[in-house]
Amino acid sequence: MYLFNLDRMPDLLSMVIFHELAREGVEALVIVSPEKPLISIGYFQDAHQEVDLDYIKSSGLPLFRREVGGGTTYLDENQIFYQVIYSRKNKRFPQTIRQAYEVLSEPPCRAHERFGIKVRFREVNDLVTEDGRKIGGEGGADIGECMVFVGSMLMDFDYQTMSRVAKIPDEKWRDKVYKSLEENLTTMRRELGELPNRKEVQEILIAEFQKVLGPLEKAELTPDFLRRARELERQMQKPEFLFGKRKGEVDSLKIKSGLNLIFGQHKARGGLIRTIQEVEGPSLGGTIQDLSISGDFTLIPRKSLREGLERSIIGTRREKYELFPRIAQFMESKDKEMPGVNTEDIIMALGLKD
Amino acid sequence: MEVGGYLLPDDLWYHKEHFWVRMEGDVATVGVTDFFQKLAGEISYLELPSEGDEYSQDNVVGTVETGKWVGKIYSPLSGTITEVNSEVVDEPALANRDPYGSGWLFKLKASDLSELENLFKGEAALKWMEEEIRKKAK
Repeated sequence: MYLFNLDRMPDLLSMVIFHELAREGVEALVIVSPEKPLISIGYFQDAHQEVDLDYIKSSGLPLFRREVGGGTTYLDENQIFYQVIYSRKNKRFPQTIRQAYEVLSEPPCRAHERFGIKVRFREVNDLVTEDGRKIGGEGGADIGECMVFVGSMLMDFDYQTMSRVAKIPDEKWRDKVYKSLEENLTTMRRELGELPNRKEVQEILIAEFQKVLGPLEKAELTPDFLRRARELERQMQKPEFLFGKRKGEVDSLKIKSGLNLIFGQHKARGGLIRTIQEVEGPSLGGTIQDLSISGDFTLIPRKSLREGLERSIIGTRREKYELFPRIAQFMESKDKEMPGVNTEDIIMALGLKD
Repeated sequence: MEVGGYLLPDDLWYHKEHFWVRMEGDVATVGVTDFFQKLAGEISYLELPSEGDEYSQDNVVGTVETGKWVGKIYSPLSGTITEVNSEVVDEPALANRDPYGSGWLFKLKASDLSELENLFKGEAALKWMEEEIRKKAK
């Protein structure tokens, strides 16, 4: 297996390399950071729904759609990416997704530990600290004849830009996104009190991967390979690929494994109702930890929104049958007026259809 | 039947990448096996072929995302796609909850029934599944 320790590469190219290596069936460990920031969306994401495209355009942030799963991520040089590419036929390496996550998460966990940060792999695909905060996300894909496992070491993270990049239905929730990220996502810098040395992180990470993958042969990208990678970059930047996905109406933002912000909206007769829900556990059936409802509907008195409706929903499982009686109880109470909105409208605004 | 805790209905044919086939005449209904959905975990997205698309046996016809991993969906037989399960596209978790029922993926009109010989059924399916469990579900 080859080792491509690429240090920093131009933004999009830094993420294209592993796609091209996999297409060509080259077994390798790639270590790389983008020279300049970029936004990466998961294969199944709809860029129009997930990303504030106007913002990233005005900020000069390029958009990349990877062939790996997961959500929107902000990438910059303070993240060191590892990508393991191996043939599906190579029985020396994990043959299932679960095995791949378990086995190949060990090296980054141990690398963190060598810096004094206790990190463990938590199913399905997060690296978390002892107090449960995410310090790395992982993903993967079958590309060509290869299995590709990817992840990153967060030396530091720009929470502000990440929270700004996500497209959310109501700007006033931007701060909620930021706070949720800051509370649930940590970095090596935050854990250590200082930014670790880049070279040291790279070398320790490689050494730990070698323990699992076996000896790695140092290699460099040839001009011919780079030409092919540039061609692939051009293909992956075509609008039909970049914007090729369309999803349903309800949107969500994954903060970490098992914690999502879910956005919903519904046009009731009495006006538009928008919701943002912080849900712990599965999107359907998990617990609504926090909730904010807004819109142009009428509710008198306004304070009953937080004290009545939102409180009746917070702490409840995100299941229609659990929510319905609680909402109905609020809607039937006589000390408020909410014309043109019924219980079913609120259920719809929470993104729970029949 | 059940093998090692994984459902493996007797009347189906099985492709090595863990897709099942139910034959009705020359129309094959295709879905993921119980083993596939249990090992993969929650299926979050599916990208399925379109009606009228033609594929050869073992061709990649779509993709599936589970736990941030994008995997491939294969055609167990050669033929033309006649129907796609739009419900499972809208709600991919159906393939977890009911892999052999409402979580089916697509139907295709098979062009060469002799290809069924390349799939597993009955005793052969049982042996194949036991080996898969030994290799992959440890």
